[in-house]
Amino acid sequence: MEAHASTGNTYHALSPARIWVLATSTLTQLVRMKVFYFLIIFIALLFGAGFLFISLSFEQELKLLKDIAFGAMSLFSLIFAIVGTAILIPKDVEDRTLYTILSKPVPRREYLAGKLLGVLLLVGISLLAMDVIFTAILYLRQNIILTNQLGILDAKEIATPENIENVTAIIKNQGVRWELQAAVFSIFLKAAVLASICMLLSTFATSTMFTIIVGFAIFFIGHGQSLAREYFLQGTFSSPVEKLITVFLAILFPDLQLFNLTDGVVSGEPVPIELLLKITAIAALYLVIYNVVAILIFSEKEL
Amino acid sequence: MTEAENPAISINGISKIFPLPFRKGKGLLAVDNVSIRLEPGEIYGLIGPNGSGKSTTMKILLGLVTPTHGTSTIFGKASHAVESKHEVGFLPENPYFYKHLTGAETLRFYGRLCGLSHTQIRERTEELLDLVELQGARDRRLGGYSKGMLQRIGLAQALIHRPKLLVLDEPTAGVDPVGSRQIRDLILKLSEEGITVFLCSHLLEQVQEICHRVGIIFRGKLVREGTLEELISVEDQTEIILRNASPHLLDQLRSLVASEQTETIRIGKPRTTLERLFLDHAASDRRQNEEKSLS
Repeated sequence: MEAHASTGNTYHALSPARIWVLATSTLTQLVRMKVFYFLIIFIALLFGAGFLFISLSFEQELKLLKDIAFGAMSLFSLIFAIVGTAILIPKDVEDRTLYTILSKPVPRREYLAGKLLGVLLLVGISLLAMDVIFTAILYLRQNIILTNQLGILDAKEIATPENIENVTAIIKNQGVRWELQAAVFSIFLKAAVLASICMLLSTFATSTMFTIIVGFAIFFIGHGQSLAREYFLQGTFSSPVEKLITVFLAILFPDLQLFNLTDGVVSGEPVPIELLLKITAIAALYLVIYNVVAILIFSEKEL
Repeated sequence: MTEAENPAISINGISKIFPLPFRKGKGLLAVDNVSIRLEPGEIYGLIGPNGSGKSTTMKILLGLVTPTHGTSTIFGKASHAVESKHEVGFLPENPYFYKHLTGAETLRFYGRLCGLSHTQIRERTEELLDLVELQGARDRRLGGYSKGMLQRIGLAQALIHRPKLLVLDEPTAGVDPVGSRQIRDLILKLSEEGITVFLCSHLLEQVQEICHRVGIIFRGKLVREGTLEELISVEDQTEIILRNASPHLLDQLRSLVASEQTETIRIGKPRTTLERLFLDHAASDRRQNEEKSLS
């Protein structure tokens, strides 16, 4: 009864209800920080991209609109994932809210899972909102361009069924397609991996700033990791030590380039469903690994 | 041992050494072999200066910090086990909670964490808002609450799941005298309902007013512990309290008390105050340190 060695080391089944309570509370906490004002910036960006660069060719115009939309989505989701996660635990410790929560029958792993789920809900909802706005603007712009191009064909008296079909196909290929949603989903997966890394960092970091800086550093390293791996493994310097370093880096830092579907989608390339399933599985694996380590550290943490 | 026979709190020889960074093998001894036992229904006050180990002891009791040595249980369940949290409610010092929630939402949030049903939460929220007299501010966000109101909603959240033990860290810190009195009355009321209370406070007068037993902790060590009667009695003195004593009698008091026609109200040990006792210990501790540093 009195065996006492460490805090939080008695294991129980997870309670999805409690995790959901913590997740929704975290979401509300983050939303009340007025984060959704970013949507105004996003709409302004898209309107600028969609209606100001009309001197470009219609293909370039639609590509630019998608490029800017995906760029903004990546940036906002990255900021939410890193900063949102980094501030949560230190704030709860500072306000002593963490003590009141953990002195209730709440296992520490549920607290962490709830906090992470809250951040993922925020990222997911904000990406969904941006996706809806983006799809609407792209659809609007696509129809305007199509009408204009068909008008031009008419004016030039070359509106043959073949030409109409050709122009329509090119515009639709650059317009609203399901692959756009796949690209948005890949942005979400990347943000989820980064959020789980930041959650892990914040279990032992001594300041919020440390977590944010290291989080952004991991973001950049994660994008260069695949290049470094190729360089070491396929280049002339593939000694055992270099290979070991590469393997270590691959485990320590996620390969974020894997989640980069946006470049291909902007160019109108298809997204095989197998690829989508593969990156989902990889993201899930990263999430599980980082969360298990975070729980192990947090379970032993002195509060 | 049945659950009914288990002590509310059993802290057995706990010590806590915090490692110091870059000083291998050395550490800061925050709690030194402390043992405390509370029976159900008691109000126990742990007093000591800042940095004496009160909060660390409390955190060990709540399973937030791991002791280096010793064990701690709540109603027979290990403090670090999640099961023990069903029995305990905790109010930390100067809590802030989530400012975006209203008073009622805060209670709902903690109620849901405790796994209460919607009906239980609704009933308990009403009862507790009545108890802490915050019905009028139930829909106001905590960001707009005064310090006293925050302490009272903190007390309400600690009670949401009907715990048998209440752990309070400086429950009246920063609260004005009226608010402080309200919290004191609430603690007494809860004790009458059978709830065991373990509190840390700097307000010695309050501790003296409400606690059945008191422990004094200095530099991590529990230097004195006992009932108020035991602690504040001065053993080498005798006090005689007289009624209707004439000036003449007072003049002859030293020699004639027992032989005069005077009603003796009480003959016993005169009392010092808990504050005096605390300050004496602080002074003695300071003297010992000065002597140590001189030698």
